[in-house]
Amino acid sequence: MTDAASLSAPEAARRSLVGWLLVLSLPLLMAVMELSVYAVEPRVLSLRNIVNVLDQASYAFVFASAQMMVILTRGFDLSLGTSVSTVSVASALAMTGLVAAGAPDALVVAAGLIAGLGVGALVGLFNGGFVAGLGINPFVVTLGSLNICLGLSTTISGGGPVFNVPDVFSRLFYNGKLMPGVSIPIMIAVLIGLGLYFLLNHTTFGRSLYIIGNNPRAARVAGLPSRRYLMFAYLACSLLAAFGGLMLTARTGSGEPNLGGSLMLESIAAAVIGGVSLQGGVGGVGAVVFGALFVTMLSNSMDLLEVGGYVQQILLGCVIIIAIFLDRLRQTRA
Amino acid sequence: MTHIVDRRGAGAVSQRALRGYARVGFLPTVLIVLVVAMALFVPRFLSVQNVFNVLRSSSYLVILSAGQMLVLIVGGFDLSVGAVVPLASVVSAMTMVWAGGAVPGQTGLIIALGVLAGLGSGLLVGLLNGLCVAFLKVSAFIVTLGSMSIATGMALLLTNGIPVYGMPKAFVSGFGRGLWFQLPTAVYLAALVVAAVWFIQNFTKMGRYLYAIGGNLHAATVSGVRTKTYLVLAYAVCSILAAVTGLALTAEIGSGQAVINGQLTLESIAAAVIAGVSLKGGVGRVEMVTLAALFLLILTNAMDLLRIDPRIQTIFLGLIVVLAVAIEEMGKRRTPVD
Repeated sequence: MTDAASLSAPEAARRSLVGWLLVLSLPLLMAVMELSVYAVEPRVLSLRNIVNVLDQASYAFVFASAQMMVILTRGFDLSLGTSVSTVSVASALAMTGLVAAGAPDALVVAAGLIAGLGVGALVGLFNGGFVAGLGINPFVVTLGSLNICLGLSTTISGGGPVFNVPDVFSRLFYNGKLMPGVSIPIMIAVLIGLGLYFLLNHTTFGRSLYIIGNNPRAARVAGLPSRRYLMFAYLACSLLAAFGGLMLTARTGSGEPNLGGSLMLESIAAAVIGGVSLQGGVGGVGAVVFGALFVTMLSNSMDLLEVGGYVQQILLGCVIIIAIFLDRLRQTRA
Repeated sequence: MTHIVDRRGAGAVSQRALRGYARVGFLPTVLIVLVVAMALFVPRFLSVQNVFNVLRSSSYLVILSAGQMLVLIVGGFDLSVGAVVPLASVVSAMTMVWAGGAVPGQTGLIIALGVLAGLGSGLLVGLLNGLCVAFLKVSAFIVTLGSMSIATGMALLLTNGIPVYGMPKAFVSGFGRGLWFQLPTAVYLAALVVAAVWFIQNFTKMGRYLYAIGGNLHAATVSGVRTKTYLVLAYAVCSILAAVTGLALTAEIGSGQAVINGQLTLESIAAAVIAGVSLKGGVGRVEMVTLAALFLLILTNAMDLLRIDPRIQTIFLGLIVVLAVAIEEMGKRRTPVD
């Protein structure tokens, strides 16, 4: 198995036209989709809609990159979703509690961040501890933490939303104005993307994740501290997801125990459609950017064409299978 | 193995007993402890009504998990079972309503058509899954994620989310809520499915091939096993069993439902995993899966009877799934490999 990064220049040049078409299949598919929607509904390429899509895609990007951190190591995180709900509820409760006590804004926001990221860290340590420490299958471990988080989020919130998240929090992570024309979620997504790019490509930890995913035994034999790195991967995944949860909480302005409902499957779908392989060791920030954009564009186009929600679900299912099949072709050709 | 048999004496016997116990796992013990404790401390646990409820609800999970196990054995996954259940429910109910109008009075025919349509919808999803996995070599996780989305969308699209009423009385009161020899009908259905799968696993070529494929796909192909056929078969059987679950639930509820317990897929995988079915493929026995499904439902029932908040129950279940597998894993490591 050679991944794109390890291809030498002449090898790459020898690729046939078909090969290149396959490599570009996702961007091409996206362009074709947007243009054909444009023919029917010109609004799709209006500045407002494009900004809207980018905005939505930032959230998808954060969750999909969280998921990528563990998919790279041949794992996945089923608890991403219910953990996001728990983060949302916990941070909202911490903030509303302090607001009621009359605490200053800075303290309120700090408490929200600490509560949210703290929950994320705990989930990450639980998942990583069982996966890396005891060698239990990630599916089982994260299935367990999925249920634990589900119970926690509904218990501590009492089942309903936690209202009155302070405006200052929403301004900070959602609708504040820092730079004209660029929304805060987009800026956060870009920062996270740059950070992850550096982490995955220029640090020992990042490169080791690929090696662990490609061949766990080789990684261990080579003397990599695999367990510690695996642990970090799960921690990073849950922390990123928690941060995404805080962003969503800022957007809705309330702590929602059902916030993460479909996030788990969507995040895996976006990552995998972008080209992160469930076999581990293949993928990167670029893949997640494309995957998140694709998923968002698809649902945006269907919304604009007024496709009903049920039909959207069917089409999304078909597209996931087709996209992954194209990816499969791409990998066998490369 | 043989050197133990040669050494006669108490040590060898107890060692062999231990080894046998390790093979079966700790699940039966935990199950017995749970049942005895509940029977001693909560009298209502053994009341006829309660036993019926537990048996009926675990029957559904047993059928579903047996199918899930087959797919796990070939090294796959089926995330779509939880969506096939409502799809089969809706399709069968709508067919029966339609047939009730087309051939009024022919109850037998109406039910047969409904059942066939329900099973057919399951078979279609199973074929989609199996063909994509076997021939397109797409990851099972993604394929079944896609088909889950498709099946859910279909069920909702067909009904707009509104329950489908108007099935023949015989189907609901005769089968779904009926008792045969004092036991809910679903129990017989589950027993039948378990017996059939047990037979397949132990006495047929298909059973052995499924283990071989999951153990080492390449080796199975090289040895001349038609791996693709058997892969498709495993997925098809899994989806059909999910459809059977859907039919039984529809008969009990009395209407076709596009939204049925969203946790079914995860529960079926949890039951299989607690039963020691390996997610890497090649390992898994239906009798253990049956015990695990019973264990999960009895545990839920026990927590209900002890008035534990359902939200806290979810937390418990999560912990138990992880701990069960962790203990199993540790046990395996301590048993010497030979």
